[in-house]
Amino acid sequence: MAFRRPPAGRDENGFADAALSHIDSLYGTALRLTRRAADAEDLVQDTYLKAFRSSHQFEPGTNLKAWLFTILHNTFRNMRRHDGRNPVDVDSEAVERASDDGPEVQSPEQILSRATLDVDLQAALDALPEAFRQAVWLRDVEELSYAEMAKVLDVPMGTVMSRISRGRRALSEGLQARRAGHGVGLVRKHG
Amino acid sequence: MADDITNCRDLEAHLAPYVDGEAPPATRRAIDAHLDACPPCRDHAETEAAARDLVRSHRDSLSARAPESLRARCREMAQSPISIDTPQSTIRQSPISNRQSALRRWAPLSLAATLVLAVAGVFLFGLNDRVEALAASLAVDHVKCFKVSDGDRHADAAGAERRWQTDQGWPIVVPETSPAEQLTLVDVRRCFTTDGRSAHMMYRWRGAPLSLYVLPESIGRDRVVDKMGHEAVIWCANSRTYAFVTGEGHAGDLAPIVEYMKAHAK
Repeated sequence: MAFRRPPAGRDENGFADAALSHIDSLYGTALRLTRRAADAEDLVQDTYLKAFRSSHQFEPGTNLKAWLFTILHNTFRNMRRHDGRNPVDVDSEAVERASDDGPEVQSPEQILSRATLDVDLQAALDALPEAFRQAVWLRDVEELSYAEMAKVLDVPMGTVMSRISRGRRALSEGLQARRAGHGVGLVRKHG
Repeated sequence: MADDITNCRDLEAHLAPYVDGEAPPATRRAIDAHLDACPPCRDHAETEAAARDLVRSHRDSLSARAPESLRARCREMAQSPISIDTPQSTIRQSPISNRQSALRRWAPLSLAATLVLAVAGVFLFGLNDRVEALAASLAVDHVKCFKVSDGDRHADAAGAERRWQTDQGWPIVVPETSPAEQLTLVDVRRCFTTDGRSAHMMYRWRGAPLSLYVLPESIGRDRVVDKMGHEAVIWCANSRTYAFVTGEGHAGDLAPIVEYMKAHAK
């Protein structure tokens, strides 16, 4: 009986360094997923454990960050499964219609002025159904490609694209609702 | 594919690449034609583009910086050699002893390598039985968690119980620090080796790491398992499974501390 020695080699440190260079991205994403700092730290730590353990499965030349995100999301999904909390079913008709029903009283530029407070945006993002939040985050903050996102989220590419679209519009509506609720005046971009 | 988008529903899947400037030319032309003729869809596209630009322009402020402690723990996992060495006194004459001796020549190994060995162990040691596989993976988790934790910490059992109930939604009773048993509670955390399902109570016992895991399900068998140089005592009660893991001492020594845990943990 022979043990196979784990793939040790010149590249091991390089791989670890490269993987660790994405820790802020992973932590930020984990925070958006778990919404709790302690859970986010656990999630990131577990992601790195799995990544270092299966570093030989990473294909050099592909996007390491996307690979790490795939591990992170898989780990998160497993956690959730065992928690008994189910992700929001975003493909339900109700949610789909919800993002189409909003009253269009202001122009998008008015609603989404650059003066939007970070805290409002953060809160509106956090208030999105989980699948929309993940889609918008991975695309617009982490800049993954649609194909990479399909892998990370384990859904077809068409689903990724429609979630991004609907997520962005739902975000816009969420911001609009927050402003209406706060009584904050809109800053007009054009006069 | 999309050279004729007449139905607004058809647009849905093409809007993101359109707004992102990644739609193929033919699709782009078809969407332009549709948007010219359909004000509601044009609004959708404009709203989406504005939201996209907004998030992108706030990328820096939305991003978070990982805490230094987390950074250090993860770096440690990649670099720090840990030993899966077994103290001579705990090696018993069992068929596994020879393999442990073989393993010991490899120490120290990186943590990642240790995990690979644990997975290999499940196959090579014939740990096809669920209890043994659990013991082996918890032995590795035990080493891992102590490797990355602050061993000098003292935790408060009652506080940990309250937090667990609030965060996880099911109650646990954490055996308290006991000077008489030379036992100190270090931390209570969620155990990711079991996909976050179980509680990991971390102790120092006579100065050495000791773990008690509580799984919210019964695996139905009480066992003493010696895996990877670690003693695991597993018992079930009240529809839960308890796993006591330590790399220190041997069966004779362990009886009193195991009894203490059995008496106090729930």
